[in-house]
Amino acid sequence: MSWQILSQLGISGLSIGSIYALVGLALVLPYKASGAVNFAQGEIVTFGAYMGLVLTGLGLPYLAAVPLVLLIAAAAGALIERFLIRPIMAGPEFTLVITTFAIGIVIKALIRLHWQDNTFTLDAPFIAPPFKLGALRLNPAYLVFVASMTGISAGLSLFLAYTKFGKAMRATALDPIAARLMGIKPARVLSSAWGLAAALGALVGLLLGPVIGVNPEMGHLILKGLVAAVIGGFSSLGGAVAGGILLGLLETYAGAFWGATFKNLVPFAVLILILLARPEGLAGPASARRV
Amino acid sequence: MRIVIPVIAFAAVSSVPLFATSYYLYLAELAMINVVVALGLNLLCGNGGLISLCNGSFMAAGAYGTALLTSEAGLSGLAALPAATLLTSLLGAILGYPARRLSGLYLALVTLGFLELVQIAIEEYPDITGGIRGLKVARPAILGLSLQSETALYLLVAALTAFAIFAAWNIQKSRFGRALDALRQSPFAARSLGIPVARMKPFAFALNAAFAGCAGGLFAMVTGFIDPTEFGVLESLKHITFIVVGGLGSVAGSVLGAALFTALPEFLRGTNEYSELVYGLILLGTLLFFPRGLAGLWERLPALPLQRAASKEPVHGAS
Repeated sequence: MSWQILSQLGISGLSIGSIYALVGLALVLPYKASGAVNFAQGEIVTFGAYMGLVLTGLGLPYLAAVPLVLLIAAAAGALIERFLIRPIMAGPEFTLVITTFAIGIVIKALIRLHWQDNTFTLDAPFIAPPFKLGALRLNPAYLVFVASMTGISAGLSLFLAYTKFGKAMRATALDPIAARLMGIKPARVLSSAWGLAAALGALVGLLLGPVIGVNPEMGHLILKGLVAAVIGGFSSLGGAVAGGILLGLLETYAGAFWGATFKNLVPFAVLILILLARPEGLAGPASARRV
Repeated sequence: MRIVIPVIAFAAVSSVPLFATSYYLYLAELAMINVVVALGLNLLCGNGGLISLCNGSFMAAGAYGTALLTSEAGLSGLAALPAATLLTSLLGAILGYPARRLSGLYLALVTLGFLELVQIAIEEYPDITGGIRGLKVARPAILGLSLQSETALYLLVAALTAFAIFAAWNIQKSRFGRALDALRQSPFAARSLGIPVARMKPFAFALNAAFAGCAGGLFAMVTGFIDPTEFGVLESLKHITFIVVGGLGSVAGSVLGAALFTALPEFLRGTNEYSELVYGLILLGTLLFFPRGLAGLWERLPALPLQRAASKEPVHGAS
């Protein structure tokens, strides 16, 4: 296999990995703030894609629809946190996990009621024929994926490091009680984290919808996001990004060398192996908590 | 009295074939199979507080196991069902053993990953499993006696369901069952009381898998056709809905929840596209407003006027 094919594979692995990384970020962000994993995040991706469909259907250009969809999704995420998650946050983890699953079922059922199981096309400016760069063929959509992931990760880390609200979020994740004593309102932090994550999820839907077609099964992507988050240790934003890219590359090369079956198996094999051998993630510190 | 009620109930259930049409007979069989599934899952999740999202996979193992042991290995139905149940139970232990260090979210993720692996395995080996096209299951013969007659199969399902209820009831009251309750309330306290927490998890999974495997085998016999979509994550969540709505940690709750949700599509007839939405909304509403399910409501019913004063009681499983 020539270096040309290898790097061509690397590019597609990197771009799909960017999508996984974004979903992973959208899972880790609320987890850090509230200790709850949003298993409905996949359905929020689907929701974003359908919202894009609705708004472009109303005649808005894609680029104008994007900020609107992100705002709607952020509001929905904050509302979900406020009315469905916060009342049970002190309850057992079982309730939390199953509640978020139930939210996902409801969102998906509503979407399927209205749009059935059809696949819709969503037009976006980055859907264009691939262009040549030296010996490589580059798909503009792939570049947009990678650029979005890079921009968002950088923006998010700057936001968390330097803004007042970002610092408040980090403080709350570290120790909610101490944060509260310092005058931070944990409730606002929680709502914002869920809103931000929902907007991220919707963005993934808007990016992916034009490429694979808008359909109710898009939410399946959450599994890849979970694997990305687990590789990174589930509480590290950088870890989730690295995990997503690693997973994308691993999957693409495995598929190219050993076929589609293997490609499908890889994410779940990785998930189980890491959780059993190193639940704290590949880069995380070893935990001493054992029961 | 303690013997009389179950006997009457069993007599009533087994007399159904005398008057029911074959469709309602089929529905009753599905309801009982779901009861068996719910009983096992309730021991694991309701009593033990462990999250399992791969119950569908255990059911699949039982279903495909029974079907393949009958068709490929030439076992009779009477031998294939327990053999498949045993194998599924072993699979549960194999999953539970490495998972003994995990709990909560991580357990949910491992079981979710396991479920997807089983789905892929079924889909990618169509030569054995029929893949996504599904697998036809021959009606079983027991002791040379063909279960061609619907009544005989119905009675087999009823008898096994009765046994499952009896077993679950006793397991719950046993030392192991009480240890599971302790594990849910606080793994640390349980450990300090000398309960071997890590060693219990594989057993709990094996037990749950045995119930689900047996139910899966019966499912294969009753429907005569199985395909991987019957055992996916949505099905596993439906099983969880049975026990959450029925009542976590309650045998009566398992029976009630499973029976109710098997009958639900009947009530929604003609509006089938709403069924997933209804499922989701009922599950969500129960978790938010009645965390102890129907069984919890029943317990509170006589004391309802007094409940206002004492409504600060801890939610089920809160630690």
